Amino acid sequence: MKFQPRSWVSWGLAASFLLTILTGLVISYPFREEMPLLSTVGIEGVIPFGALFRYLHYYAAQFTFLFLFWHTTEALWARSYQRRHFFHWFLLTSTYPLTILALFTGYIVRGDETGLSAGRIAENLILTLPFFGKILNRLFFAVSEEGIHRAYITHIFLSFVLFFLLGIWHFRLRKIKLEDLSLWATGALALSLLWPPPLEAPHFQTSLKGPWFFLGIQELLRYLPPFGAGIIFPLIPIILLVFFPRAPKRAGWGLLLWHLFYFALLGRGLLR
Amino acid sequence: MKRLVLLFGIGLLLVALVKEGLRKRASQVPVTTSGQVEMCLSCHQERPEKVHSREVIGCSPCHGGDPLRIDKHLAHRGLIKNPADLRVVDYTCGAPSCHPEMPERVKKSLMATNRGIINTLRRYWGEIPENPRFREEDDVAVLLNEKSVSSLALDYFRKLCGSCHLWFEKGKFPDFLGEKGGGCVACHLVPGPKEAKHPRLTRKIPIQNCVRCHNRSGRIGLTYQGLYEDEGYGTPYIEGDFGEPFLVDGRFVREIPADVHFKAGLVCIDCHLAEETMGDGKAYTHFEESVEIECVTCHGGDGTTRKGRKVSGVKKQGNQLVFITKIDAKVLPLKAPDALKCRHKVHRRLSCQACHASRVPQCFGCHVRRDPRQTQLDKISGQETPGAWEEFRSYQRLEEPTLGLKGDKIVILVPG
Repeated sequence: MKFQPRSWVSWGLAASFLLTILTGLVISYPFREEMPLLSTVGIEGVIPFGALFRYLHYYAAQFTFLFLFWHTTEALWARSYQRRHFFHWFLLTSTYPLTILALFTGYIVRGDETGLSAGRIAENLILTLPFFGKILNRLFFAVSEEGIHRAYITHIFLSFVLFFLLGIWHFRLRKIKLEDLSLWATGALALSLLWPPPLEAPHFQTSLKGPWFFLGIQELLRYLPPFGAGIIFPLIPIILLVFFPRAPKRAGWGLLLWHLFYFALLGRGLLR
Repeated sequence: MKRLVLLFGIGLLLVALVKEGLRKRASQVPVTTSGQVEMCLSCHQERPEKVHSREVIGCSPCHGGDPLRIDKHLAHRGLIKNPADLRVVDYTCGAPSCHPEMPERVKKSLMATNRGIINTLRRYWGEIPENPRFREEDDVAVLLNEKSVSSLALDYFRKLCGSCHLWFEKGKFPDFLGEKGGGCVACHLVPGPKEAKHPRLTRKIPIQNCVRCHNRSGRIGLTYQGLYEDEGYGTPYIEGDFGEPFLVDGRFVREIPADVHFKAGLVCIDCHLAEETMGDGKAYTHFEESVEIECVTCHGGDGTTRKGRKVSGVKKQGNQLVFITKIDAKVLPLKAPDALKCRHKVHRRLSCQACHASRVPQCFGCHVRRDPRQTQLDKISGQETPGAWEEFRSYQRLEEPTLGLKGDKIVILVPG
């Protein structure tokens, strides 16, 4: 029988994304973008139930990313691209890096050491891009000039737009079951109780680590110039994903090798 | 299965709600004057002195931990009880915005390395050549990383001398040893008012802090204050108790006339410069290379040391040079050496102490014994290790010092 993307993974992705949106809505009320760290700490330490919602938001977002990775892998394995027009496939695969961008900007907006450093690094990396660097930086980051403002806008807009457009076009929003939502909320809750998400204070560190999924690029920056490590290298899997339908075997091998290499870099970065 | 997971979820939610209900929350997010978030301040009421005040610095720049958290177990992760400990001082006191130049200097100072003691001891015991050259390895920091001790002299140093250096961990050992060491705070810490719940850091270092270590060998810290470590064993006994005062380590002392500078209100740091005590960035082997103050710096000189640095206490008032003490800003006139007696050609080779040190404690017949059957605390590693050292002396006296030659100079000889 032909392999199909498993429904629990697909609906786990949708439910986690919805949970991220809902918890994000709650914590956006006490969050003040002009004082990001202060309000993040306030959400955790002063507002009743603030910590709980922040932790749920963090873990639901992590689930979303992991499910997206899994779902994409399954979709490729199931040759879903064969049932889609290339343009549709292109639109669908472009949501993958955009979801990562939404997740990444979430780290920036909390305004702690990890977030601010991640923002500065991202800004400097994107500025190495010829012609479009400045525009894209203005659109998504510009942290050195505007603090977290652009990143916050990106975080909120991108998350909403992605979720609701995908909910209309790629899956049926109204078909998300309360059961799935509760299941992944339970998972996020369990992790929240066991391991409160990180919040890095600006002390004593001689080296700073960015978001965990970004550590591979951070590691590669030690060996390659910013344009190579921060632009060309992450572009490779996106291009391979987009053009997967044209040369599935070669693109598949390319993606596999890229990810093996990236996980090795990630492991090295985590162990530092 | 799904029902079980959902039931588990409801259970977790109840746990989370109860936990949230019991959780201590701050009424607001405390921020220091520099805009640093310091959640520590919402629980901790400790008030250090003004320079390190809680409103300006907060707690975490010195004590680490996580200043962004309110939950105790998260906030106290990576907490440092003594930020001045030389193991962490690069990140704490030596942070770029605080005293960045100090850790490197202090770690090279003789009070941190004990290089003079180690070098001399090993030389006298024939473990290293007679030539007293600079040896990188004669350093407490090196001994701290030594896995095994292969030298008798070093074993002796570790057990009997190993508590008088700046690497010594404050509060790690019991009794009076607990007060010693601690890096910067070995000198700079004084008790604070009870209501402050935090000791005070000071640049006005009281003599007690110096004498915690400088009370053996030459016994300069005791003699200066007018105390003589004698062998009277506390006699005469008065009403069934010792008739003599004793030091925290149990040694009896007798009161003798104090040094004239002590009587005038000067403490160690009035004469000894920061470059001598905390190091000037150079690594020396012996303290005479490091010490730069001389009697003539103030008495007859203009306050410039032999290395060309100014003693901050020496000031000009009108036409006269005076000395202003650091602790209580007392203004003292500075007397120049007697032109006839001190400058006379027959006295030109005499050091000042040759005439002015009327008595010094002298300890003769120093012997040590090592009992391999017993164990003793190695104060460098903190472990009880085989071999217990015991010190013996033939006799001790408080007498006029013997004079001897050092180079061309006539100096006092103090067997200690």
